[in-house]
Amino acid sequence: MTTTIAEQEVALVDLVDRLLGGGVVIAGDITLSVADVDLVYVGLRALVSSVATAEEKNALPAMGSAL
Amino acid sequence: MIELYAISDDPAPPDPPLRAVPCGRLTALCGPASEGAVTAETLWRHEEIVEGLMETRNVLPVRFGTVLEDERAAARAVSGRDAQLTASLDRVRGAVELAVRAQPREPSRDAPGRWGTGRDYIAAKRRRTAEIRMVRESLATAARDSVVQTESEHLRAAYLVDRDAVDDFARLVRRVQRAHPGLDVLCTGPWPPYSFAEAGEPA
Repeated sequence: MTTTIAEQEVALVDLVDRLLGGGVVIAGDITLSVADVDLVYVGLRALVSSVATAEEKNALPAMGSAL
Repeated sequence: MIELYAISDDPAPPDPPLRAVPCGRLTALCGPASEGAVTAETLWRHEEIVEGLMETRNVLPVRFGTVLEDERAAARAVSGRDAQLTASLDRVRGAVELAVRAQPREPSRDAPGRWGTGRDYIAAKRRRTAEIRMVRESLATAARDSVVQTESEHLRAAYLVDRDAVDDFARLVRRVQRAHPGLDVLCTGPWPPYSFAEAGEPA
């Protein structure tokens, strides 16, 4: 199955959710500043809207195992 | 400064530049701390490293951006949570995470005022919510554990699935998609078990 741009974007949204919101929290310095997170999420909102556009065009496959 | 990628109970050394830091019964898998702005590429690179580790051992992925002074600081931090981390590791042993999103294909169609009455709108909304619940419940039957992040008309869930059951889970997702043509069902993975790494604290 070819990986569409929309699929990659869905995978990126899932990736950001996991890396920034999941995983073991170990005491230490989290280097990621609030500003960085904001930037990442601004990028994400742009991605989410482009995924929505892709869905309108039926460009998204039913099941995207994008990795 | 070193970056912490994952925790394992397998002491085998990973490929350089990654290193295995002994922390009592556990092992912290570390590498040189990455620098510079966080971009999509940085995140994918991090993911690639954790997936590489996951191929040969059971791991608990660590929150992105966990940087510590040195290996001694890493050993201290991990040893301090030894019992809890061991329990979490046992919980995810032999499993991977699959992410699923499901949402109405055309969410605006039943908006009030577009057509029909408020009652139609509420009935449609209730129908969609019930459909999402059915999706969630049928996928849960193929998983060891699940974390549902949002609900109502949109499903965003993580499923902990045995490594050798990933294909079965993917087939089930396709079957669920066919059974619910009004929904978009999107599945990505397999991911390291990020959403199951902290007991009682879902992503």
